[in-house]
Amino acid sequence: MDTRRSGARWRTATWQALGLVLILAVWWLVTDGLKLYPPYVFPSARAVWTEISYGLWGTGPQDGKLLAAIAGSLRRVLTGYLAAVALGTCIGLLMGLWSPIRSTLGAYLTGVQSIPSIAFVPFAILFFGLNERAVLFVVILEGFIPIALSVSGALLNVPPTLRVAGRTLGASGLSLLLRVLLPAVLPNVLTGLRTAWSFAWRALVGAELLIAGSKSLGEQLEIGRNTANVALVLATIIIIGVIGGLFDALLRTVESRVRRDYGLEAGE
Amino acid sequence: MTQQARRSPLLISLALGLTLSSAHAQPVQTVRLGFFPNLTHAPALIGLERGLFQKAVGAAKLEAKAFVSGTSLSEAFAGGQIDVAYIGPGPAINAATRGMPIQIVAGASEAGAVLIARKDSGIRTYKELAGKVVAVPSAGNTQDISLRHILKEQGLKSKADGGTVTIVPIPPADTIAAFAAKRADATLVPEPWGAALQAQGHVLIGDEKTVWRGGKYPTTIMIVNARFAQANPALVEGFLKANTEAVAFLTRSPAAAQAAVNHQLLKLTGVKLDPRVLQRAFARTRFTTSLDLEALKEYAALNVEAGYARSVPDLSSFIRR
Repeated sequence: MDTRRSGARWRTATWQALGLVLILAVWWLVTDGLKLYPPYVFPSARAVWTEISYGLWGTGPQDGKLLAAIAGSLRRVLTGYLAAVALGTCIGLLMGLWSPIRSTLGAYLTGVQSIPSIAFVPFAILFFGLNERAVLFVVILEGFIPIALSVSGALLNVPPTLRVAGRTLGASGLSLLLRVLLPAVLPNVLTGLRTAWSFAWRALVGAELLIAGSKSLGEQLEIGRNTANVALVLATIIIIGVIGGLFDALLRTVESRVRRDYGLEAGE
Repeated sequence: MTQQARRSPLLISLALGLTLSSAHAQPVQTVRLGFFPNLTHAPALIGLERGLFQKAVGAAKLEAKAFVSGTSLSEAFAGGQIDVAYIGPGPAINAATRGMPIQIVAGASEAGAVLIARKDSGIRTYKELAGKVVAVPSAGNTQDISLRHILKEQGLKSKADGGTVTIVPIPPADTIAAFAAKRADATLVPEPWGAALQAQGHVLIGDEKTVWRGGKYPTTIMIVNARFAQANPALVEGFLKANTEAVAFLTRSPAAAQAAVNHQLLKLTGVKLDPRVLQRAFARTRFTTSLDLEALKEYAALNVEAGYARSVPDLSSFIRR
């Protein structure tokens, strides 16, 4: 059983590596091979790699900017994300437990969720100024809604028998919430947490792009654009994708671990 | 008569590869000119107002596009949407560094950028920029590079470089509103926006001479797309002549030139300037067609110092003489 699982994992990894090689081969063909585009429009993979290496582990006075940008963006997104989780959980609980709040606020939140985060940026800039708070506002706004909706949705889907069983065993009020309802909603909430992460990450980069003046991946994109350095733009895009993917994979692992523990997914 | 530009074989092969529908055979229908609605681009404004560029293109259609910053102009240039442009040395040098097909053909203006602080910002010296928000037309543009140099001289650093000064991009024409909304504490702007801010009671911290090199530095230069130039040498000559006439008009009849510039600025930005404001802005700007190669080289070095490039390109290969 175990060997078959690790065998499947190896196969997946091999296919992924082959895919990467294929992408790089096509890239090489388009830029260096056929020279379909000039380097200032579509740079070679080598040029992008140079930007990544200078930006991450270069030692010159102007190097290491991407590393600093990653640190800045991660600090900002984690702050915003944690705030969004706290806020989203509170609002989700309120919505899940009281139907008047659910039918009013819930409907509005679904509407707000359909607004692209970038649409809030001009307002955030005017309200907070060109600063960190404006970025955090957008990140929290994007992040808390999926969490609130998943918490309230999951609470509604808790089987009534669980509540009854909890009550029968003596739980009520807060202890019913903490010991019966919250554990029951955990798998669904984890899905919400993952959605919230990808929303928050996207909102962050979008907001950083417009609110310059701080170490951030968004600013690196803007600097690349402003100095006609497409290689830097692509390098930053790749880093944004890798970080977003890594965090998603991490949360996905936690989610499937929990789902397995809950008997919702096949496991060992 | 046109000297061949010395370009790398790689660039030429790229150029040939790209020019699928060869422009050599048929005459151009439309010539696209890029510029900014600033006084430092006055030769462009005069050329438009007095029909000099239309004369230069003859029967072809002239399409003049105003840009708010070198960034967007450079993007349009990279996309092959601009044939001739007035632009700051900063974006021009960046474009050259990245291998864009650009030729620097003439000068347009020198100096003409000033550092203005919001009246209630408490800033009175360069040193007091510490911890403040300073606006520039766009990141990586000529004023941004100058500002970073000033900061370095003062022992200050931008936030992105681990210092305290926040540098934000704000289009020059919007700085009046940005100051009113307190979105910026100071700005390094090209004229006439410096003089316009001063007229609102904001404070001049550094005049055009203290910005860099005692005021002897190019602020606006004229560039052409190298492929366009190769296919249309006569049109380039025409634009050079128009630029020379515009500069001559600016130096010969300042009063009439100011009125013409004001008319174009109103058309482009919707802002009508007090003639006295424009006069003050004029006094801080020098119009010339000559190119100071030494200053351009120093600019390229400042660009590296600001972290926007890793090396100084051989600018002489981009300059047409």
